[in-house]
Amino acid sequence: MRTVEVLFVIVILLGALIITIQFAVLPPPRQAFGTNLRELSQSTLETLDGKGILTETVFKDSTDPAWGDLQKALSASLPPNVVYNLSVYDISTSSGRVINYHLSKSISDAGFGVDSEAASLLATSPNVTFTITPEKVGEKTGENNTLYILNCNDANGWWITGYTGQSLATDLYDLLSSYFTTTVLLNTTDDLELLLENSTSLEGTIQNAVVMNPFGEAVPIPYNYTQYGPQHDEGYYLVDNGSQHEYYDTYSKYCYTLGVKTQQYNWTWVSIVGYPLYYVSNTETFTGPNDHNGYGIHGMIQVGPAGLNAFLHGLDDQEYDQWLWDDPHNRWVYGDGSIAAEIGVVQFTTQAHDKSNYYGIYPSPYQTASRALPQSIEGDYHLERWAPIFELKEKDSLDYSAAATYRHAGGATEGGALTAIGLTRIPDIRVSVLALLMYYRPAVYKSEFGASCTSRLVTLQLGQQGGT
Amino acid sequence: MAGATIDHMVAVTILIAALLLTMGIYNQMFASAVAYEGNRKVAMKAVDIINTACICPGNPEDWGETSASLLGFGLQDPQAGGYALSPYSLMRLRTSSNDSQLVEYPPDSGLFYNNISANFGHGVLSPVGDCLNYTAAAKMLGINGTYGFRIDIVPTLDVNVSQVLGFGHLVLNVDVKGSGLPLSGATLNYHLFHVNKTDDEDPFPLIVTYSGIAPNPSGSVDIHFSNVTDDDPSYSFTVYVSLGGVTGVGYYTHNTIDSESQYIIPLIQDFDDGKIIIAHNWDGVTPAVTYNATFFVLTSDFQLHQVEIDNSTGLLGAENPYNTTEIPAYEVGLLVISYLTPEDDMGNVILPWGVGTLGVSISFGGDPTGYSFVATELRQVSINDISYQVKVSTWSLSG
Repeated sequence: MRTVEVLFVIVILLGALIITIQFAVLPPPRQAFGTNLRELSQSTLETLDGKGILTETVFKDSTDPAWGDLQKALSASLPPNVVYNLSVYDISTSSGRVINYHLSKSISDAGFGVDSEAASLLATSPNVTFTITPEKVGEKTGENNTLYILNCNDANGWWITGYTGQSLATDLYDLLSSYFTTTVLLNTTDDLELLLENSTSLEGTIQNAVVMNPFGEAVPIPYNYTQYGPQHDEGYYLVDNGSQHEYYDTYSKYCYTLGVKTQQYNWTWVSIVGYPLYYVSNTETFTGPNDHNGYGIHGMIQVGPAGLNAFLHGLDDQEYDQWLWDDPHNRWVYGDGSIAAEIGVVQFTTQAHDKSNYYGIYPSPYQTASRALPQSIEGDYHLERWAPIFELKEKDSLDYSAAATYRHAGGATEGGALTAIGLTRIPDIRVSVLALLMYYRPAVYKSEFGASCTSRLVTLQLGQQGGT
Repeated sequence: MAGATIDHMVAVTILIAALLLTMGIYNQMFASAVAYEGNRKVAMKAVDIINTACICPGNPEDWGETSASLLGFGLQDPQAGGYALSPYSLMRLRTSSNDSQLVEYPPDSGLFYNNISANFGHGVLSPVGDCLNYTAAAKMLGINGTYGFRIDIVPTLDVNVSQVLGFGHLVLNVDVKGSGLPLSGATLNYHLFHVNKTDDEDPFPLIVTYSGIAPNPSGSVDIHFSNVTDDDPSYSFTVYVSLGGVTGVGYYTHNTIDSESQYIIPLIQDFDDGKIIIAHNWDGVTPAVTYNATFFVLTSDFQLHQVEIDNSTGLLGAENPYNTTEIPAYEVGLLVISYLTPEDDMGNVILPWGVGTLGVSISFGGDPTGYSFVATELRQVSINDISYQVKVSTWSLSG
């Protein structure tokens, strides 16, 4: 009788055991410890599309060789024990706003075993067109500012290593002409003279114009403003015809004249890189053996820091009277010497980040500034700092700005501005373009023109071979 | 009465046997479940770590581009986003697991450099003080003392370059494999840095680059350089291979000087400004050498753009053991340094600024040897447009 009872107990125990085993099922080892195939799939899709090649391929005809390349790329990048299936679906919307997915193309290397994981990517056709219609600078105010770009074929540039002033002028034209009602390339220094003389024979409106100098630290000078020309008193000044160095700071007078004209005609003078107005250049006139910058570039004469000092004096309607006797060097110099400083790496302001996105212009937000201007010039010359691209940086207890537009807004007369990009070479003209757009802030009107079947869904299904 | 006793004894025996049997089975089940749960936790931790490493840039985001202290671990390139790793952050990982693997320069100075070596003396030597070590990374991940991990970052494509003799001019064979299989149909962008001694008046060896694009229809291709002889003393060759969104790098170097004992060592001095020390190897035996250093920025279409740098040429020896130069800190590229001994032996050494430019592999973390369960996770990433795979191995330190 007891044996029968015990047998009942055993049956209950075994029953409990079997029921427990039925419920306590562990997932297969692959699910527990295997590679996370879904995220591997996602990372594979994203890296294949890193340079847009996946997107480009999935919109190609199914017989295009690019599909073969994609299949090879998938096989090469996935581990040998992982099988894949890449499917591309057309996405369309029917009349009832129902979204339909139609299989367009599928490639795979083997069938799947027990289970698999998948990830997807939505690709947009390269044929989708976005258009941007910029507002013209000065359109709202009625000024309709003209952009003049110095493209003088009889001048050389400096601090624009790897480029010429002429090639940069062409690039600036491409980047900026759509923002201006009129853009004029000044192809010779004679054209520049017409600008300086407010000649009516020049296309565009000289008043309120923007003048871009893509020659770096050099500025083209017309023959008439050199020491040999009839207007030499506006471009050349020898303080003392004695024994001192003949060329020293003499062409600061030309830079002073440029400053005066900038204020008089309310120009925005743009220096794209380096120390503004450090040399004057005219390859037809400056042909002497000493007419070079000391680094193998002929056809130019050094003005040095006096160029910017004189320009700022002219801009602020101050007298051209800053000549000082430099006793140690036994010569006359103009101004107080170099005001720019090397401040190293600088970073974008928040405003520059925003406008970089707004205008779709993406120079590096970190740049090296070797010719930054001190904040003190704002007080010295009645300037207001507008549209700063880089954060101020302190050096020797002074704050320096690497790139900004200084608007002359005080003193005896107002008007004129200087955009100074005090970065090191090689020049990135996108910084100058961004500076100018940040200063004038033209609006851009964006629109999208999409065709049907402009989006495709790409799924990559992965499975592991072998094991359970 | 005796019958009832026997009946009891039989019943108790059977009951005990049945209990032991079921307890054994239950015990086994519980043990499996506990082990499973523990391993599952390790596997989940591996997912956490690889996600943090690959899709988080760390804090501060640009820590790889500066010498700043790191507050949060992550290797993502903040400018590229997605599964793209920063070529600079990787240079700040202390990959050497013990001090014997560090490079001390100058000898006996107490200044140590972490060595992320490519081969042939090429590699990245970063100051140890600026490098992130394994323990600090584990603390930032919140797993110090509980889990161990190791991150292996290796190029997706295996690109082998070898010299083919017998043509009279230089011929290099490029062999491309992916997942063990030849990769056919790829496009090759190659660059040869040929070291020349122009004349006796110019003591500095000159680097001449030959670049080109070649198809690779079968997975293996010979590239001919008719203006370089096959016994030329010194050159380096890099090749960037692309197909269908996958890109790999291969390189090859030939020197008259034993490749294991380069006479010039480039050392990173400062990440912020891209300051590099070009140092003589200072072993007391090596003669003074003249050098010529050139920095090439690697563009997105794998072309090289030469950039002027300070102290690009010089004489290094016992009296002047090193010079410093500065390269663009935010541009990936190759610093190629060629050098020449008084005996006209020539060599060259390359510092890849940004690990992807020379396809350098990196291993960072602990050693999983001896642990019973190691979970691994794999992701595809890109490092300045070069395809890499990241494998994270994770194990529990609590046993």
